[in-house]
Amino acid sequence: MKNNLFIIFTFALLAVMPLILSDYWTGQLNYYLIYGLFALSLSLVWGYGGILCFGQAIFFGIGAYVMAVSTKGMLSPVPANFYLGLSLACMAAAAFAALLGSFLFAGKGINGPYLAIITLAIAMVLERLMSNWYALGGYNGLLDIPPINLGLFSYDLEIWDSRPAFYILWSIVFCITLLLGWLVKSDFGSLLIALRTNPERLTYFGFSPLQIKLKVFCLSAAIAGLAGALFVTLDGFASPTLIGFTLSTEVLIWVALGGKELLIAAFLGAIATRLAENWLSELFGDYWLLILGFLFMVSVVLFPKGLIATPIQAFLKRFNSNKNAA
Amino acid sequence: MDIIIPLVDASSYILILIMIALGLMIVFGMMGVINMAHGELFMIGAYVMVLCQSHNLPFWLGLVLAPIMVAFIGLLIETLLIRHIYQRPLDTILATWGLSIALKQAIVLVFGPEAQSVSAPVDESFSIGDFSYPIYRLFIMAASLFMIIATFWIFLKTDFGLMARAVIARPHTSETLGINTRRIYRWSFVFGTALAGLAGALIAPTISVDPQMGLGYLVPGFLSILVGGTGPLAGVLAGAGAIGGTNSLLSVWVSPVAAQIAVFILAIIIIRMRPSGLLGERDEK
Repeated sequence: MKNNLFIIFTFALLAVMPLILSDYWTGQLNYYLIYGLFALSLSLVWGYGGILCFGQAIFFGIGAYVMAVSTKGMLSPVPANFYLGLSLACMAAAAFAALLGSFLFAGKGINGPYLAIITLAIAMVLERLMSNWYALGGYNGLLDIPPINLGLFSYDLEIWDSRPAFYILWSIVFCITLLLGWLVKSDFGSLLIALRTNPERLTYFGFSPLQIKLKVFCLSAAIAGLAGALFVTLDGFASPTLIGFTLSTEVLIWVALGGKELLIAAFLGAIATRLAENWLSELFGDYWLLILGFLFMVSVVLFPKGLIATPIQAFLKRFNSNKNAA
Repeated sequence: MDIIIPLVDASSYILILIMIALGLMIVFGMMGVINMAHGELFMIGAYVMVLCQSHNLPFWLGLVLAPIMVAFIGLLIETLLIRHIYQRPLDTILATWGLSIALKQAIVLVFGPEAQSVSAPVDESFSIGDFSYPIYRLFIMAASLFMIIATFWIFLKTDFGLMARAVIARPHTSETLGINTRRIYRWSFVFGTALAGLAGALIAPTISVDPQMGLGYLVPGFLSILVGGTGPLAGVLAGAGAIGGTNSLLSVWVSPVAAQIAVFILAIIIIRMRPSGLLGERDEK
């Protein structure tokens, strides 16, 4: 509940932002919301499920490309529709995750550092593949992807302005965050923690770790796919970098800096890092990446739970102990 | 004749890959540390050669300086970063990833983002009949072969190697027997980084040296040790042979993109089917 309090507070604060910010910054905030959603997907699979996926952009990219192809009407019998595109993007990402997951996790399975390296390699392969797949734009990517379109039954309601787009994205991301917040507190959440901490005992109690792993992997992929799909409607452009290795490692940094074991911290980690990048890269120029690299090292060594999650958890602890004392 | 040159090229690539993978393997096999900054250490080795060239220092001096400088950086990394997170192997991936970003950016700040080139000390080619091959590339092969043999000799024949292998097999037992495991870890790490630095320095004249070059060698290096198996040191030879050979030959015969995709998929399948690697024993419980 108190976790949800933080989520609601954060989103309430975000909701008033477009009223005071300029058009430019609202547009930026739209991107941050999507990056935050993407960070949530990684936090779920890594922080809760204990699966270190070094190639989370695989699913973001699949979502992005499926959305691009379907809303541009390139899948000719399938009508170009915003809602259909979003669901196809989620399903495609989840299906790929199911395929990949059942190959990687089944049997003795691959985990820990091996999984990190393999997912990294897959992200690199897919980036190479997309750069050379000329039907999908190759290296230059796909251009002119239609924006968010809320219209139904052949009525079009295209959202070009950043403020209405913000509130649409805000509601989607808010719902998913609340849903995930509920999920990790549910029985399934307890299973995830068991999966991360002691999979052997989980088997002993009659659960199948493989099933749980696959479920969380697919769910996380679907969310990442959704983030990718929303991203291209905003950006109008899908390129191989969306599926690749750089974005995969960037999201990893946001989530690790924020705090992987707390959804809202991961979400804020993405927003804070992007925001800092926007400001500080102007201020520090080329030194920014150097600073980010060092900050990341320091945070991993000294604050393994994350720079944002550590104070939040300390606060919650005090809040709880005060309540118990009273 | 068409087949000999690709084969020689492939073996040259394999030998460099073995040098990189050996460094990774020593660190990963011994301490469970995944060093994502290994590619950047390799890159720094190459940049030492760029620096030597711009200061008109002789090439051979660069070859000596590069591993020493990179080893020194390795020593700093071990002291300041790695030793604090030995107990958290997965966090080493993240911390060294941060390090790799910082090192890359530091190189961009010093040398600029554009590619540099280093000229080889000898331009002549070696020829027998129709076959002709640049002497410098033959030198790379000889030098890396020598270093690989030296590494095996150190780890299999010297007292240091014996202690190192004892520390890998039974860290606590070796500690009670009076082996200073901290020291062994440190010098093994430094040795691994020096190998990466030397590999970078050796290969610098044959490729374009740029700040992003590390990753292109890091990932094949990792796949080599995973494919070969992390048990015996010799697994690296099999792994790098499989990865490097396939990559290099398919690049010539089909296309570089197809080669990379094929190699990665092949590697993933092998690792999935034989998690302990080609040479690793099947654990039968």
